[in-house]
Amino acid sequence: VTSSAAAGVYLERNVANLRLGMTLELFTATGALVGGLIAFLLDERLLALLFAALLGYVAVTMLRQGSPAAGGVATGAPVEPPGADIPAVHEGLRGAALAHLSPDGYRIRNLGRGIAGSTGAGVVSALLGVGGGIIKVPLMHLGMGVPMRVATATSNLMIGITAAASAVIYLLRGEIDPYVAGPVAIGVFLGASFGSRVAHRIPLRYLRLLFVVVLLYTATQMLIRAIG
Amino acid sequence: VSVVEAAPGTPLVDAGFERRIGRLLIVVTYVAVGLLLVGVALMVVSGISPLAGGPPLAPGRLVGDILALRPAGFLWLGLLAVIATPVSRVVAAAIGFLRRGEPLMALVSLGILVVIAFGIAAALVTEA
Repeated sequence: VTSSAAAGVYLERNVANLRLGMTLELFTATGALVGGLIAFLLDERLLALLFAALLGYVAVTMLRQGSPAAGGVATGAPVEPPGADIPAVHEGLRGAALAHLSPDGYRIRNLGRGIAGSTGAGVVSALLGVGGGIIKVPLMHLGMGVPMRVATATSNLMIGITAAASAVIYLLRGEIDPYVAGPVAIGVFLGASFGSRVAHRIPLRYLRLLFVVVLLYTATQMLIRAIG
Repeated sequence: VSVVEAAPGTPLVDAGFERRIGRLLIVVTYVAVGLLLVGVALMVVSGISPLAGGPPLAPGRLVGDILALRPAGFLWLGLLAVIATPVSRVVAAAIGFLRRGEPLMALVSLGILVVIAFGIAAALVTEA
């Protein structure tokens, strides 16, 4: 619901990158499928601990990237994504793919890193029941040079497939309760619709800070899950 | 409205195509949420608690439940629509990419559908 409600608005407003989203989505869905199949074989506590550490690291990296010392967004002015100063010269097939996925406003880099990270996001999403977006937004923004707003919008587009792939498995196992899922879906729809309509009005530095807060909150939850 | 902060005012490619996909998502999502709203309203009217434990999905009972105005019918249909929405978007995108002469992106879209189909098949095999 989050994905469909928000991604529809983002696509209509030309914020989300459909081609990049679908390319990475293929690997996220594959990762989610693998995660769903091996979920009962792995130690959930260890995974939660590792994931908490990863989220903590990403939160600190995002904070540092957005700090004035790092040439970040303290002024609130529009900012190039990290690595945007790297000459956008891509060669060969990889270059053609990157150029095809890059709109006029920015250049995407490190497609291989994006593919590996998206696969991992799918696995983690299925194993720990967390939204893959919490990995994919920093991955696209910090790792691939995608602007923050585009990264969040594109991530919204992607999480739908990951969720659908996992949901079908849970559905067939009879693990979805319609009396719980129905009301929750409505609440999520309201939140996602509101968020996607006001996101462009929120200054980038606040958006980034909000994301860091969500990262730290999720990391804490994962830590509690690992310990408790 | 373009909000690409790296280059304000710069439109993304294929605005019309992506807008159409966006509209499709919005429409299908509204239909799904409409069904869920009816289901939740019927839950409230019937005095059913969300923690009461809902019935499992039984496709054969879906129409009967809806005609009898039982909440489970609307909720399950809404939830199925929610799950199907991203898939319908991928199908629409695949068709759109093919029409636009982008076979690689159409192949990527097809790959996503194959992974989902494989997921369903794998789950069915596991259950059996």
